[in-house]
Amino acid sequence: MTAVQAAAGPPSPSWFWAIAGMRRALALGAFLALAAFILGPLLTLLVWAFAGAWLFPNLLPEFSLTWWSYVLGNADVVKAIRMSLLTAPVATAASAVICIPAAYAFARLEFPGRRLLLLSFLSANAFPKIGLYVSIATLFYRLDLMDTFAGVVLVQMINTLLFLIWIPTGTFRGINRTLEEAARDAGAGPLRTFFQITLPIALPGLIVAAMFAFLAAFDDAQGTLIVGTPNHITMPVMMYTLVLSYPQPVGAVFSVLLSLPSLAFLLLAQRYLRAGYLAAGYSL
Amino acid sequence: MTESRRQGALGLALVLPPLCLLFFLVVVPAVTAVVETLAPGPGGSAGLTVARYAEVLSAKVIRTDIAFSVVVTLISVAAVFVLGYPLALYLRFSPGRLASLLAVVFTIPLFVPVVIASFAMITFLVNHGLVSTVLYRLGIETFPPLVYNATGIVLTEVWASLPFAVLILGAGLQAIDDSLIDSARDVGAGRVRTFATIILPLNAIPTRITLTLLFISVFGSFTIPYLVGGNAPQMLGVTMTNYLTQYLRRTDAVTMAVLAFVIAAAVGVVYVASVSRRERDV
Repeated sequence: MTAVQAAAGPPSPSWFWAIAGMRRALALGAFLALAAFILGPLLTLLVWAFAGAWLFPNLLPEFSLTWWSYVLGNADVVKAIRMSLLTAPVATAASAVICIPAAYAFARLEFPGRRLLLLSFLSANAFPKIGLYVSIATLFYRLDLMDTFAGVVLVQMINTLLFLIWIPTGTFRGINRTLEEAARDAGAGPLRTFFQITLPIALPGLIVAAMFAFLAAFDDAQGTLIVGTPNHITMPVMMYTLVLSYPQPVGAVFSVLLSLPSLAFLLLAQRYLRAGYLAAGYSL
Repeated sequence: MTESRRQGALGLALVLPPLCLLFFLVVVPAVTAVVETLAPGPGGSAGLTVARYAEVLSAKVIRTDIAFSVVVTLISVAAVFVLGYPLALYLRFSPGRLASLLAVVFTIPLFVPVVIASFAMITFLVNHGLVSTVLYRLGIETFPPLVYNATGIVLTEVWASLPFAVLILGAGLQAIDDSLIDSARDVGAGRVRTFATIILPLNAIPTRITLTLLFISVFGSFTIPYLVGGNAPQMLGVTMTNYLTQYLRRTDAVTMAVLAFVIAAAVGVVYVASVSRRERDV
């Protein structure tokens, strides 16, 4: 292999699994089993969303859209959708406003305790989440934040911090300093350099970070359930009720609605995700 | 003021807002919880008391739930690891269409909210659900219940945690230099030997991080056991939430929360040590 090939090609010493035939069949079998395990539940759910009735042991139901009108006509559902679309964007935006400048500082500025402070953002992950939410509830009772809009936004922000600090820090670090220095040499001030050079290059990483943060806030069920009950019910919190006390198609239809943001983001951000930002975010 | 002092001040000023929020949402609640549960009640003497812990732990139900939580968590973590490590290895070392397809499939749960995942698992595994339908068609009519028990919890936890585990393990494997593996092969090391002596030790820190984070996240889960688990025994996350919201016994709930912190802290120490060592190397 030439040096050029080594640099360009994917790292792949294929000897590791390469015994033809047998191993291939084994891999295919394992793949199918895994795919069935991962996709099976989701497909079942999707079929349920379009089922009028699904009697055992039929492999397919009678298809119908009746449950869609039932779900979309339900006032509580509409209220939950509105609450979700209010809280999650506010939580993401508030978090981005404070986190992205901080991420830039972590990547570019020298200050005492930098490494330790960056690591401290992992601390939320060092707690069993539900224990943390229960503790937050007792604090929020005292501060009169229980069952308030502010309380729900705050609890949703917990899960956004790590995404909006760590991914942007990595993104800013990855930008070649010489570009910024060249702009400074040409006479641009620090703010102009940031907005015209650094920010455009960092944008894909920042978008991926914001996307993950939004999904974390939007999908938060446990924290919002504890802090927001009974008057601030978001879509994921509504799911608890639907799963436990409604016919299966109702929960299935609502699940499809609840997945729409994730699906939209997946499609929109596919380009960036393929570029490896996903792995970058997880390579803590 | 020198340039470096100015930069230091600016840097601290920029990182202060999110740090304050983190402090308010993580440190303050946790410390309040510990202090509150150790403080003597009204009319009690000065000093600290473990009376609340003794009281909570004296209930057999809660002791059973704690043991159940630990066991279910350990089984889930082991299952994720046993499935995830080979998957990460495969994705790292096998090029080809199957691997790239696999890379798409296994990340899907990352984008599925855990409430939906739990509900999807129920529709999939429940008696007269899709799995039992398929088994029935294959002539298998009796099998143990797959949902509303520990089995259901473990299966759903594995489903939800697999991508996370594979991504961290995979990132670690990616960092291993090919030339190291090639040279091991050159001097005659077999596949297993290369794995045991090169890959496994070099990936030890990501492995420890993965195991620890998995333990804490499964142990602290609520949605999955609440929806997919049975009535009793139940995982501690469900029990403490019930005490908080249903029985309105806030102090007991917080006491259980602190107990969960203590159990996770033991595991968390390993995690922080691993991460900080890795950051230092970078």
